Amino acid sequence: MTTNQPLSTADRSAGAAGWWEKLKSALLRIGFTPLGLVMLLLLAASPWIPPFNQEHYLRWLIMGAFLAAQSVAFDFTAGYINVVNFGFAAILGLGAYTSAILANTSPVLAIQPGISPWIGIWVGAIVAGIVGLGLGVITLRLRGIYAAVMAWFVGMALLGLARNLVTLTRGPLGMSPETFLDTNANRPYFYIILGMMLVVYITLRLVTRSHIGLAFKAIGQNLDAARASGINPTRYKVLNFTLSCFFAGWLGGFYAHFFGSLTPQTLMHTSKTVEVLAIAYIGGRGSLWGGMVVAFPFVFLTEFIRSNFTNLPGLHLIIYGVLMIAVMTYYPGGLSGAYAWLLSKIRRTRK
Amino acid sequence: MEQTRPIKVAQIRKDRSLANMIKRNRPAVAVLLGSFVLAVFLGIQAGPSQLINTFVTGGMWALLAVGLALVFGVMNISHFAHGESFMVGAYVAYFIFTPLQKSLRANPNAFLSTIAPFLGIIAAALAGLVLGVILERLIFYPLRKNTKSGWVMNAFLVTVGISFIMTNGATLVMGPNFRGIPRYWDVPPVQMLGIRVSVDRLVAFGLAIVTIAGLWLFLRNTRTGRAIRAVAQDETGAQMVGINLTFIHTLTFALATATAAMAGAALLFMFQAYPTVGLKPLYFSWYVVMLAGLGNVAGAAVGGFIVALLQTATQQFFGINWEDVIPTVVMVIVLILVPSGIFGSEVKGVQEQ
Repeated sequence: MTTNQPLSTADRSAGAAGWWEKLKSALLRIGFTPLGLVMLLLLAASPWIPPFNQEHYLRWLIMGAFLAAQSVAFDFTAGYINVVNFGFAAILGLGAYTSAILANTSPVLAIQPGISPWIGIWVGAIVAGIVGLGLGVITLRLRGIYAAVMAWFVGMALLGLARNLVTLTRGPLGMSPETFLDTNANRPYFYIILGMMLVVYITLRLVTRSHIGLAFKAIGQNLDAARASGINPTRYKVLNFTLSCFFAGWLGGFYAHFFGSLTPQTLMHTSKTVEVLAIAYIGGRGSLWGGMVVAFPFVFLTEFIRSNFTNLPGLHLIIYGVLMIAVMTYYPGGLSGAYAWLLSKIRRTRK
Repeated sequence: MEQTRPIKVAQIRKDRSLANMIKRNRPAVAVLLGSFVLAVFLGIQAGPSQLINTFVTGGMWALLAVGLALVFGVMNISHFAHGESFMVGAYVAYFIFTPLQKSLRANPNAFLSTIAPFLGIIAAALAGLVLGVILERLIFYPLRKNTKSGWVMNAFLVTVGISFIMTNGATLVMGPNFRGIPRYWDVPPVQMLGIRVSVDRLVAFGLAIVTIAGLWLFLRNTRTGRAIRAVAQDETGAQMVGINLTFIHTLTFALATATAAMAGAALLFMFQAYPTVGLKPLYFSWYVVMLAGLGNVAGAAVGGFIVALLQTATQQFFGINWEDVIPTVVMVIVLILVPSGIFGSEVKGVQEQ
């Protein structure tokens, strides 16, 4: 603050407080508390902080951000309109394959469009969004479990297509799409996925903060009551599905052009959906941020187990399953529920 | 919104002519006719061996789907870990049967070698029963106590978690190796319709039919069976007339796991025992259940054969790679056209909120 006339101390503190409040409300609008912002800044700085500046830790960070972004997009349907998109991984794979095929230049495959990955991921996202739109239109007349099973079946059909359209995808052999950058360093990729994660989170947070988000919540909690109060569930459900699938496809594009290898089983299998689901549920349904926070320690934990207990394959997946069941059976609120409880406890003691 | 088809009871009683029956069950009639045509076509094109195949796998899908339908109908659980019971059954049968076979090779005994496979299968069924009781008591019972709303979805996701744990647990304990046997009975195949059918296949089919029939009679005629059906119809009402809900739930779940484990054991010669062996049976039994209508036990028994026919026909005309793609697409179309299945869902509690 550079004013010629010195302010009185009282004024200054009030001004500072006002500035602080303004910042807080601006942050809150895009879904961050000051604590969240600090964590985000720490995360953004972590590629320069030892020990995370080592390449393999950087890779874990990237996977964490990738999983975090997925869990946000997943929770947007599961936590808000209460429809579990069981074909989530397959939709993600659809985006990945679309983008990878568009970027292909190798003569092994039938077509070589050679489109830049930077454009391809958007095309992949749009294709995934269109499939999401179709899926939404189909599933909106079905309730809960039917919609989940339907999405699951569609996902399996997509997986089967990726496996069988050998001329386009090389089938189970997998394809090796172009990478985004001509570098082996992981740091630039970390900032790409971090940016993508923020875009997903902030966009979806803005949507859920608006009246649309309110409608989503109403539909998820009580469909009939929502309909009675004038909400058209069809339209909102389709919108929700489309958005979620759009981002899933977009993230899939990142996967394809980061790892540079793509097989149907490792990307589109139902167990991949289950991993995202576990993260989103442990983080807390309907919070968006819960899964994002949980994803990073989880990736570190599972990768640590995977690299240190190679004689115990699948242990990290068992931990996923056990934690998910434990959270669902005994503490349905998840991390965000625990945070809300803690916050209310602190407020009460302050009073 | 689930469409409730108005059922005109009086009219049904009055008019039992064939024309009216067809009119009321148009999707079912269409699918049955279609599968009949497909079966005839398959029989002409590929010979009766494919039809025999259809019956063997169909019997097993039916057996699995009946368990799935029962669990959904009675407990409102969309069981995703059904394939893992199949896997457990396969492992148990393998570990019971192979040592027996080895000792029988050392000192042959005609009677024992006839009986040994059945020992493996029965042991698998018992293991399934125990597994079912453990899962129900350990997970679904507390979940039912803690869940206030959205039971259907929560239970479904918990079974997903169970499936995840059991598959990876099997990898952890047993390793990823395939453990299989070439055949249960070392006897020459039987001549039927001019082709040779192995005894294993015949026994598997017979077992499926006998078990489904037994389950059917149990549900129809015994006191406990009636109690199970009562719980499926109206939980509160059943509780009011003094039915022990917890017992019925545990029993139903254990029965479903036991039948799945038995299927896994009986098909050990076709599917080997390995951690993810349950996936395919799970997919196909889910197709059956969605085709027949969630919770429709009788429909599931018929649907098993329709799905198996679809599967065999796909293998025959498109190749084995498309085996699960084309049935999936067909199921999606069925779900779009008749969401409650071709025979109609008997479940009232599908709406979760």
